[in-house]
Amino acid sequence: MKNQREPSAGREATRGHGKAVKPWRCVFSCDQVCCRYNLFLLVCREVLKEDESGSLKATVEEILFQSKRKRVVESHGQVRLGMMRHLYVVIDCSRSMEDQDLKPNRLTSTLKLMEAFVDEYFDQNPISQVGIITTKNKRADKLTELAGNPKKHIAALKKAVDTVCGGEPSLYNSLNLAAQSLKHMPGHTSREILIVLSSLTTCDPANIYELIKTLKSLKVRVSVIGLSAEVRVCTVLTRETGGSYHVILDESHFKELLMLHVKPPPASSSSECSLIRMGFPQHTIASLSDQDAKPSFSMSHLDSSSGPGLSLAGYFCPQCHAKYTELPVECKVCGLTLVSAPHLARSFHHLFPLQAFTETPVEELRGDRFCQACQGGLKDKSVFTCPACHSVFCMECDLFIHDSLHCCPCCIHSQSAP
Amino acid sequence: MKLNIDGLLVYFPYDYIYPEQYSYMLELKRTLDAKGHGVLEMPSGTGKTISLLSLIVAYQKVFPLEVTKLIYCSRTVPEIEKVVEELRKLMEFYSKQTGQSNNFLALALSSRKNLCIHPEVSALRFGKEVDGKCHSLTASYIRAQRHSNPDQPVCRFYEEFDAVGRQVPLPAGIYNLDDLKDFGRRKGWCPYYMARYAILHANIVVYSYHYLLDPKIADMVSKELSKKSVVVFDEAHNIDNVCIDAMSVNITRRTLDRCQTNVDTLQTTIQKIKETDSAKLKEEYSRLVEGLKEANVARETDVYLSNPVLPDEILKEAVPGTIRTAEHFVGFLRRFLEYLKSRLRVQHVVQESAPQFLKDIFEKVCIDRKPLRFCAERLQSLLRTLEIADIADFSAVTLISSFATLVSTYSQGFTIIIEPFEDRTPTIANPVLHFSCMDPSIAIKPVFQRFQSVVITSGTLSPLDIYPKILDFRPVTMASFTMTLARTCLCPLIVGRGNDQVALSSKFETREDFAVIRNYGNLLLEMSAIVPDGIVAFFTSYVYMENIVASWYEQGILENIQRNKLIFIETPDAAETSMALEKYQEACENGRGAILLSVARGKVSEGIDFVHHFGRAVIMFGVPYVYTQSRILKARLEYLRDQFQIRENDFLTFDAMRHAAQCVGRAIRGKTDYGLMIFADKRYARADKRGKLPRWIQEHINDGSLNLTVDETVQLSKHFLRQMAQPFRQEDQLGLSLLTLEQLESEEMLQKISQIAHQT
Repeated sequence: MKNQREPSAGREATRGHGKAVKPWRCVFSCDQVCCRYNLFLLVCREVLKEDESGSLKATVEEILFQSKRKRVVESHGQVRLGMMRHLYVVIDCSRSMEDQDLKPNRLTSTLKLMEAFVDEYFDQNPISQVGIITTKNKRADKLTELAGNPKKHIAALKKAVDTVCGGEPSLYNSLNLAAQSLKHMPGHTSREILIVLSSLTTCDPANIYELIKTLKSLKVRVSVIGLSAEVRVCTVLTRETGGSYHVILDESHFKELLMLHVKPPPASSSSECSLIRMGFPQHTIASLSDQDAKPSFSMSHLDSSSGPGLSLAGYFCPQCHAKYTELPVECKVCGLTLVSAPHLARSFHHLFPLQAFTETPVEELRGDRFCQACQGGLKDKSVFTCPACHSVFCMECDLFIHDSLHCCPCCIHSQSAP
Repeated sequence: MKLNIDGLLVYFPYDYIYPEQYSYMLELKRTLDAKGHGVLEMPSGTGKTISLLSLIVAYQKVFPLEVTKLIYCSRTVPEIEKVVEELRKLMEFYSKQTGQSNNFLALALSSRKNLCIHPEVSALRFGKEVDGKCHSLTASYIRAQRHSNPDQPVCRFYEEFDAVGRQVPLPAGIYNLDDLKDFGRRKGWCPYYMARYAILHANIVVYSYHYLLDPKIADMVSKELSKKSVVVFDEAHNIDNVCIDAMSVNITRRTLDRCQTNVDTLQTTIQKIKETDSAKLKEEYSRLVEGLKEANVARETDVYLSNPVLPDEILKEAVPGTIRTAEHFVGFLRRFLEYLKSRLRVQHVVQESAPQFLKDIFEKVCIDRKPLRFCAERLQSLLRTLEIADIADFSAVTLISSFATLVSTYSQGFTIIIEPFEDRTPTIANPVLHFSCMDPSIAIKPVFQRFQSVVITSGTLSPLDIYPKILDFRPVTMASFTMTLARTCLCPLIVGRGNDQVALSSKFETREDFAVIRNYGNLLLEMSAIVPDGIVAFFTSYVYMENIVASWYEQGILENIQRNKLIFIETPDAAETSMALEKYQEACENGRGAILLSVARGKVSEGIDFVHHFGRAVIMFGVPYVYTQSRILKARLEYLRDQFQIRENDFLTFDAMRHAAQCVGRAIRGKTDYGLMIFADKRYARADKRGKLPRWIQEHINDGSLNLTVDETVQLSKHFLRQMAQPFRQEDQLGLSLLTLEQLESEEMLQKISQIAHQT
């Protein structure tokens, strides 16, 4: 910190909007509130770096910071969301995945984050499905088929850690493979592909721009997360199909970008609306009702040889009485979508999102400077107020409330205690 | 938006403006106010053209008597078209704002090849063929012959234009080359001659450098342009070389052989004419006795642009008696030719000055200085009299005669070098006589003297003070502008060492060094793995590139690179290169990624832009010094030292750095673009080299980016590329590097703008 100087005119300019933080204050706050205030640390780092190398970090991270806030704010428009999602995740397993700039290497790190993603995805979108595709040596292979069961995917991901990376990926082949199964999905569900691309090159058997056109006509939304740099063909691909394209800065940013895809995307206005028949099977244990019940096979185990075969308990389809051990699932016999009520409820919050909290500078705040949620002191430059109950939150809690809780704790509190 | 530039109302056709554009206009206004010349450097992609156009047009509107014409010189046809399009946008904005249709006439001018609409002539492929064919259809005597012989083919477009076109001026508007052709087709007029005629009363003319600088063309096209014009040379970083090329003559044995046939043809034609129509020759003779008085009169009234080939005193004299008759002149040419042939029969290199040459020619074949000076004029007159239709065939003899005139006119600033063979092939006799101009100011002097304001501008003109020196003029403004950026979108890195600490350099002693070549290979290999889409690599010369690539192939480096990206190579063959370029762009477009290996000073380094994904990184292997063993260069360096007190080393470094800057500048073509600039030579880290880079590159080189190893470079690049891949929208630029009118007019911003221009 020895080359701290007074901010020059140029520096003031780069930050703009009068948000300049005096360097000494940053050093101070960095030492004081360390890792809990991850975001604020980001801001601090920006200011410190700026002294050495000009405006680069400052502005880029300023932009990032804003986009993060924006994510919260943006998602609260009145839009129709595609609640039933079909998502193929393409994981690059090419030579460049051995690069060690993510620890221990890109592949392991990606697979770890993928597990978390799958978990989170099914948590927030219980009636959706995921499939995983890997691509290496100019080929694309299905790791798992489209399915609504997180366990199977996570097991497959865990196993994939040992894969040998090699060759080049093929964007064309993986997109083609995903599109082959996505195109049979009904029109009221969303068709999405998420590509985690580490390589900067792709080996394609045919003109990829033709395929992009096809994808566009099939209304498949392709998003890309780049692990190294911006590649032109991905920019075009995502722009044309209406997806998003991001490049990671580091692991935490990677995680953040992945989590962006947990939220259902806005449904295109042209997608069909239809009533869907759903079954809500009860979990019954055969032995309780019938003394001489015998263990039976679950329908979902018919095609996969692994896992426990026989069990007494299960969900029975209300229409055809086929037995399943897990929900949600599409009945193999009569095609009914089987879910449980909590699944639907959890998808519900996307439709009635929590309103964005209003951001105000900390100076304007009267009264106690404590966050209502974590009870920590408010040390950021701005605080967030719930428009309904006027409680004050810090930046971190604001994000937590909007990303995970989906309801304001203070509002709930006041409702439950009359 | 409407701007107030130092009291002048300027219409600017965009809603946003870059701060440096405002600053640029301020400087330009100052230059015009002072009626002086200016040197302005502003990075490419910051809207130089529109700033220039909107200010000068505004100036013309407000002070119609002070500035009557804008002459905008650019290098290539696509660039000319771009300028016209910008101008069109500006004029549309004017008419929208003021509500009245404007009365401005602006047009582009190019060669016959680009403008011809004659169905047969325009089908020809080469410019020279088109010129020759056109001449054979439109020359005055051909048209005169038609009166007696109606079967004589003429160009109906020209006839039509000649009949009515001159009376009706071209209606006001903006014309690019295609517009001119369309208009010509509609009216049935020849667009080329129409444009040449129209530039006399046009408000804005856009054409190539050569129309002002090349004495042969300038004489035909530009001599009647108004004195109160503003001349702009865009992309003028190579203007001294253009001037020199325009004045230099190279004579090989092949030229002399062709010249011999030309002279023979002349001889037979004269014989024929003598038998049929000797009166014609007599008439010519008496005209020559009168001298070139007519031209002289015109010069005094200051209508013509003085032509450097034809100095004033020649006009005052009559053509000397020895070459006045046609036969004598042909005999004279024969003698001169024989003398040149004998001079080319040398075994060793000869270098001599113009006076030495004249003395020698007088002693050997008794040719005086005076008739030599009239050689070019005399030949023109003879060709006219003989009514030779196809001038193109006589290029050899024209070349020899203009050489004769030049060598006898200028005792200073030129040198004659006769080399018996090329340096690379010392066993093959291929004698060349270089009559080389060493002083670029000779060609450009008439331009500076004649026009009230001349503006020289480019993205890379550093160091600014050397241009006024070598072009011998006094600028009133010299300024270098930086690029204001919302994010640092360029990343210059100087790689000085390999991972094994071997110093990287292309200097002569280490050129063949295995370790250096291997490390260069490693650098390219590592970069190919982390840079997306396109990489352009520049070498100092073709020979050096061949050596290195061959060595990489043996070491297996090329094979490894090809796993990451495809490799394309620039060759001296233009067709091959454009093919390679096309495939390169395709590979960048569809995600395969590609590397283009090319040469500084080559076609790729000068004219081709690598926007966005076509050039995410430029690697400059070595410092692109000019081939220092060349005798022409040595003579020029000596001349610069004696005449302008510029040290050899300074000039060489200046020349190398401006080419290096040109090469790396290919990658950044605007504020939304980004790219790495990698200088792979430890000599770049020295202050004398670094200090000669343009300011907008220099200010991003800090101590942390000097003398890096390959690994460090890779780390920095990776980081930079990830930063740049983050979403970047226009709103992020607003207020910093992109301004609305309100933002521009704020006190604080005006103060900041005043710091952008760096005066020297």
